[in-house]
Amino acid sequence: METTELKEQLKKQIIEFLNLQSVSPADIKDDEPLFGEGLGLDSIDSIELIVLLNRVYGIVIEDPKEGRRILVDINTMADYIEKHRTK
Amino acid sequence: MFYIHQTSCISPQHTFGDADINKLAEPAEKRLQAIEPSYDAIPPGVLRRMGKVVRMGVGAAMPLLQNHPKPDGIIIGTATGGKDDCVKFLNQIIEYDEGMLTPINFVQSTPNAVASQIGLLTKNHGYNVSHLHLGLAFEFAMTDADMMLNENPLNNYLLGAVDDICTHHYYFEDKTGWYKKEDVSNKTLYETNPAATGSPGSIAGEAAAMFWVNGMEAGAVAKLQAVDTLHQADESIVKEKLQDFIEKYLPAGEKIDLLLTGENGDNRLLKYYSSCESVIKEDVTIARFKHMCGEYPTATAMGLWLCCDILQHQHIPDHMIKNAVVKSRYKNILMYNNYKGVQHSFILVSGQ
Repeated sequence: METTELKEQLKKQIIEFLNLQSVSPADIKDDEPLFGEGLGLDSIDSIELIVLLNRVYGIVIEDPKEGRRILVDINTMADYIEKHRTK
Repeated sequence: MFYIHQTSCISPQHTFGDADINKLAEPAEKRLQAIEPSYDAIPPGVLRRMGKVVRMGVGAAMPLLQNHPKPDGIIIGTATGGKDDCVKFLNQIIEYDEGMLTPINFVQSTPNAVASQIGLLTKNHGYNVSHLHLGLAFEFAMTDADMMLNENPLNNYLLGAVDDICTHHYYFEDKTGWYKKEDVSNKTLYETNPAATGSPGSIAGEAAAMFWVNGMEAGAVAKLQAVDTLHQADESIVKEKLQDFIEKYLPAGEKIDLLLTGENGDNRLLKYYSSCESVIKEDVTIARFKHMCGEYPTATAMGLWLCCDILQHQHIPDHMIKNAVVKSRYKNILMYNNYKGVQHSFILVSGQ
């Protein structure tokens, strides 16, 4: 799968998992922060994203510090998925 | 006893905001589903995580809390809570072999999620209790508020109840015969079909009704004179209980002006309602409300909301009337409801 295609798929999955009713994939920029400013996600959402990575891509994140580096924006998530996915 | 000062209700009828109970919204697919507002008062980030029952409960509470931001307690009745989220969470446990599970469905699935979300949103650290006694959940919430106000009459409480039609609950209730097999309109819910015998079951329903209550008479919409409950299948004992209730709680020299019942079109339960109607004198108006909200465990909260509306506006829509008696004024309203023929409640509400 091309990186661009993966990023689009990821945006759709984030919207679905987090029930972001008023957000469309086009609203999420690749380099926009997911937490705090930008999309405005919070700590409960981070758990949902870790579960998303596990269920959809077979990625297990056990170290919270590692999670902070991965869940920065769409670019960092897509990059990590490409390198570590088992599904 | 306590006083009701403000009310709010999200139901299958036009009860939220500028309420108009003269219009009767009809069921779709054998369900009377709530007309949900846009929930502008709930932050979008919080709203997206809420299941329907939490959304309705919090949504109904917010107008009251905007006017009175600091209740001394939040007391909610709900029989099923967020059962849809509960089922989603249980299915995840099976699907992912007790592995990695998401927290949101679990958080939303607990029955106290409604009261706790209201507390969190309003940063309220006061008394926060949920009552879960099936068809008497709201009655026990009322009793709790009554006991709290007996001790602290100057306190204010947010009191309410909410239950929704969740997919799985509907399925089980339908299979066990609590909903009508045939398509039925709420306009003809009480007509016996087939003639003479009627049919079992009712229409599934849902609503959230909230009340701002305290021990102060000034400015109150209504006074809750008394609430009592009974677990019983024998209609003659129910009738005796109602007679005792009226004798004990109706103020001396006053009479019942309106009997509001939870009759729901189920021919198996009609004997209880007929029995209670026989206690009431002929010059009493009899009205029903389940065609407006359907059958669900905490329907008496919607009934109490209607009592307050009737006392405020001194008007009962024609579609509610079973026995019309011309009245110059409605002051004392007796509400009788039963849930599945075993949980009975008696509520006496008076206008000022």
